[in-house]
Amino acid sequence: MLNEKPTVKSSIKAYLYLLPMLVITFTFNIYPIIKSFLMSFYTKYDFYTDVVSAYGFSNFTYLWNDPDFHLAVRNTLVFVVGVVPLNIIISLFIALLLNKIKRFAGAFRTIYFLPFVTSTVAIAQVWNWIYHSDYGLLNYFLGLVGINPINWLNDPNWAMPALIIMSIWKGLGFNIVLFLVGLNNINTRYYQAAEIDGADSWHQFTNVTLPLLSPITFLVTINGVIGSFKVFDEIFALFQGSSGPSKSALTIVYYLYEKFYTEWKYGIAAASGVVLFFLILLVTLIQLWYSRKHVHY
Amino acid sequence: MQVTFKDVTLSYDGKRDILKHLNFVIQEGSLVCLLGPSGGGKSTTLNLISGLLAPTGGHIFFDDADVTKKDALGRKVGMVFQNYALYPHLTVLKNIEFPLKMAKMSKADRTKRAKELAALVHVEDQLDKKPGELSGGQQQRVAIARALAKEPSILLLDEPLSNLDARLRIEMREEIRRIQRETGVTTVFVTHDQDEAMHISDQIMVLHDGHIQQFSTPKKLYASPDNLFVAQFIGEPVINSIPATALNHDLAGIVPDSILTQAQTAGIRPEALTLPQRALDPLVTLHGKVLEFDQFGRESTANIDYNGYQLISTEMSQLAHDTKELDFTLEKKGFFLFDADGKRIFGGDTPMVLVGDQSAQKDPAAAPTESGGDTHAE
Repeated sequence: MLNEKPTVKSSIKAYLYLLPMLVITFTFNIYPIIKSFLMSFYTKYDFYTDVVSAYGFSNFTYLWNDPDFHLAVRNTLVFVVGVVPLNIIISLFIALLLNKIKRFAGAFRTIYFLPFVTSTVAIAQVWNWIYHSDYGLLNYFLGLVGINPINWLNDPNWAMPALIIMSIWKGLGFNIVLFLVGLNNINTRYYQAAEIDGADSWHQFTNVTLPLLSPITFLVTINGVIGSFKVFDEIFALFQGSSGPSKSALTIVYYLYEKFYTEWKYGIAAASGVVLFFLILLVTLIQLWYSRKHVHY
Repeated sequence: MQVTFKDVTLSYDGKRDILKHLNFVIQEGSLVCLLGPSGGGKSTTLNLISGLLAPTGGHIFFDDADVTKKDALGRKVGMVFQNYALYPHLTVLKNIEFPLKMAKMSKADRTKRAKELAALVHVEDQLDKKPGELSGGQQQRVAIARALAKEPSILLLDEPLSNLDARLRIEMREEIRRIQRETGVTTVFVTHDQDEAMHISDQIMVLHDGHIQQFSTPKKLYASPDNLFVAQFIGEPVINSIPATALNHDLAGIVPDSILTQAQTAGIRPEALTLPQRALDPLVTLHGKVLEFDQFGRESTANIDYNGYQLISTEMSQLAHDTKELDFTLEKKGFFLFDADGKRIFGGDTPMVLVGDQSAQKDPAAAPTESGGDTHAE
């Protein structure tokens, strides 16, 4: 019945249906979040007995004073700023090209999507070779245009750009597919109307495509920003289990990983996770606020 | 702007022609409807005028200028799309301003002009709303204002009323007529609704199967359809069409044999069947059985069985409802005979030559034919 009133019996029944999902969500999502927040306040913790003898803010003061953490935050921000805008511009450009061609569009789409479904470790191995200072493909091409070989993976100045280039390439496929969906959803009538109204291709792009694509661009941006803030496996695989030469690719999650698994400082690891959480939250809120004015649904 | 099509042909796939050797002239300042069933080539013809489509063959002229090679931008046409295609992210004012912005008009000027147009189409109180917040009729008005913004050489409307409900459709078609009269812009209007076309057009072009079936005034289209297709397409209730042989017995001695032998189909408008006492200009009296009476508001119809064929009449409301059989009159006006190709050979504006008539002495070919400058399909 559409007009059935909820009763105690029907509510119990409904929750019973929801129970499997609720149990899984609580065990694997809600509980770990609460636990990690709590853990960031552990100042004296015996992990053999799981006894917490003192709580406090000392983990956060440690982070506040740790130059490594400062470096990690700085590197993470550089990475986000380096990857997200370029990724969006390049994938939008490729999506526009793919949207224009009729033949082989499917084949190209598959090719661009491949990096997304390929294991990061495998990708990193390939890029390891591309970046090789003596035999690498990239240096070979740079040599053709007269640029001296760059020691991509061992020079602290070039490790971060190398990481950014690989990450942009890896993220293209998914964003291209999203942009293609968005482009397909724009009714051709708008382009015809714009053409009749005297808009050339560029004005059609700025006045029709960009505004009508803005929900997808917004989705891609949020997704890209959050993903980039959490970067870890690319670093781990590209620099063979290190954070790059002289920690030049140390990011927040990598810092967290080191504190947790190598140094066994659980409280500090959890605290850096909490800092990352609020950093992402802040940036996402700024994006949401910006989207109010500039995203047209 | 006068629009001329010379031998225009269009094919999408290079094999099958959608439009076949179209020739017509749309007079400056007139409102012309392109009317026909779906797939008849109406929207294609409109897109050819707009420049969104290029013809495969032939030439298109605006006044004396050949615009065949020009695109939509170069032709300066205004267009209203079926779903209005208002830019959803722009306000009403910005939508109307858009063509002016593209024409690089200064901001103050285009706002002033957009406000004038908004007043013309009566949406001046909706300027700050987005299209999504407007009703269908209001969106329609905004779309017209936007199309008129750059003072187009010609205004094109592609099924602009089909998304509106019945009452609004009537209101908007009067509005389109009013706006067209006030601005004097040459207007081409695509519709599949013959009622709509009959009400607002100066001239109607009936398109079917890639050919112009007839291009004339609404009045003439109804009173003397060139062929069976037009006769059946125009008019509500639909014209009665029965094999001409069914009438042979009653028409012998009245309609000349030379015509009767050629005739394949007879078309009888429902109002051409009346009671003898109300007949105005009778051709012949027929006899039939009454099958059914129907009353729909103001309209009433009677179903009559004549020689085994069903005829519908709208003129028998005065008949007692228990009548079983009756004599009824076939009026001259609204009775047509068509030959095997569907061409009209009797009735309409063809001078009616009857057996024993005085005018029968004259050579029918010498009789003055009323053409009124209409272009007919070949």
